[in-house]
Amino acid sequence: MTQLQILSAAPMTTVQDSGRYGQLRHGIAASGPMDRSAWHRAGQMLEHPAASCIEFGAGRLEFLVEGERIHAAFTGAEFRLSINGIARNWETKIELNGGDRVEISPGGTGNFGLVRFDREIDVPLVLGSRATNLIAGLGGLAGRTLRAGDVLEIAHELSAAAGTAPFQTAGQANGPVRVIWGIHADMFGPKARRAFLECAFAVSPKLDRMGMRLLDSSGVFSDLQHLSLVSDVVVPGDVQILGDGTPIVLMRDHQPTGGYPRIATVVGPDLDRLAQMRPGTEVRFASISVENAHTIRRGEGGS
Amino acid sequence: MQDGKVPELLALGDSGLLVRFARELTSEANAEAVAFAEQLHSHTVTGLLEIVPSLVSVFLRYDPAQVRFADLSGQVRLILSEQSNIALKVHETVTISVKFGGEEGPDLAKAAQLCGLGEAQFISAHNSSQLHVLATGFAPGFVYCGMHPAELSVPRRQQLHPQVPAGSILFAAGQTSITATPGPTGWHVIGRTEFRNFDPTQDPSTRLSAGDNIRFVETS
Repeated sequence: MTQLQILSAAPMTTVQDSGRYGQLRHGIAASGPMDRSAWHRAGQMLEHPAASCIEFGAGRLEFLVEGERIHAAFTGAEFRLSINGIARNWETKIELNGGDRVEISPGGTGNFGLVRFDREIDVPLVLGSRATNLIAGLGGLAGRTLRAGDVLEIAHELSAAAGTAPFQTAGQANGPVRVIWGIHADMFGPKARRAFLECAFAVSPKLDRMGMRLLDSSGVFSDLQHLSLVSDVVVPGDVQILGDGTPIVLMRDHQPTGGYPRIATVVGPDLDRLAQMRPGTEVRFASISVENAHTIRRGEGGS
Repeated sequence: MQDGKVPELLALGDSGLLVRFARELTSEANAEAVAFAEQLHSHTVTGLLEIVPSLVSVFLRYDPAQVRFADLSGQVRLILSEQSNIALKVHETVTISVKFGGEEGPDLAKAAQLCGLGEAQFISAHNSSQLHVLATGFAPGFVYCGMHPAELSVPRRQQLHPQVPAGSILFAAGQTSITATPGPTGWHVIGRTEFRNFDPTQDPSTRLSAGDNIRFVETS
């Protein structure tokens, strides 16, 4: 048996896996990693990747390994990693032994990192997944963020060998965040739609697993008329405009339905990249067709 | 379709298709959405991963590696055009016992007053409405039930209740909602039930589905 003793954990640290899909009808968003491409990369680095991982935000994470040896893959954003006080490269695969002390702190870029092991984190499967959903308060460790003093048991059994799951391509490294026009785009009118693509927004400090608020210094949405809408299903990446004109991009722990107007939806690969943008980063949007988005997903170009 | 009105098919992100029957909530549009979601369950559609009925729309999550948006849209249009002769799901009638007013329903008096009724009259009128589940999914186990007649349609509160407990009975906009988890609400809190429509240890985790008939009764 292996145990991880959490010595310190920044506020956004949770257990995740690929997500709890199929539960929207019951009012539960899928959750899952903020940077899915990082989760895939970690899986490719391990011979026997477990689905579960510890995801951390831009803060400190320290844990002590007790018991049997495990393999760990660290990916996402840019963090500083040290084992027993000795600095290691980032991103990396490392063998961890009983007594090893792992320290992670934010590096120069990005918001989210994760560590995946070759054995599952032994928290209960809730509706088929170990992912923590912070809005619903379920999954992971008691449906909450991890904190100092928590102990995570690691399953004894080695996970199955890595399959040949198709690799989810990362979004382009730079350039505008690509969106598909949203289900209420027509209600905004041509002028606001044009301004949405022409003006620069910025990531605000209000950023968590539920959503990322953007600063709209050009006032694209400042005189938006209040629209009364019937609630519809929300998906990760929806760009919703709140009643006071604040744009918010809904992230992995999104509310399951929403009644605010949505002008656009960020495509999957670019949502990973957006999640890694720090407060103050300029954000520009470009609209693409659904067909083009699918080409990008298949990694056939589209940059 | 109502008056030959064709529902809109919209992309919702790169792996979602929204079939929208109306922009406003009407009983007809809601019934069309619920029936279409049930009709879809009787078809095998390649790449279709999840079907989620909402108040006036149905969301389809699909795998873009298996089906193109245009092909899925084409299949959806075909299914929509079918004269459905399959028997749709038979909906059960669920009785919900509610303690109205008091600590459990602090807004009962206000809701009754807005309808121009005394509290007892209001409860009686409320419980005699023929209601069914309009939609699920706002929060775990949360259900919207409707529609009450126009005389029982009141606006939401000005002030938000920051946190109401699971089992709260909420009233606004010609509807009654039942919460299954704690949360904020801008609706009038008129009572509370012991009934919990959410249990994450069960799969499915909720008992009520859109279309189910709901009967509210008063308990002390």
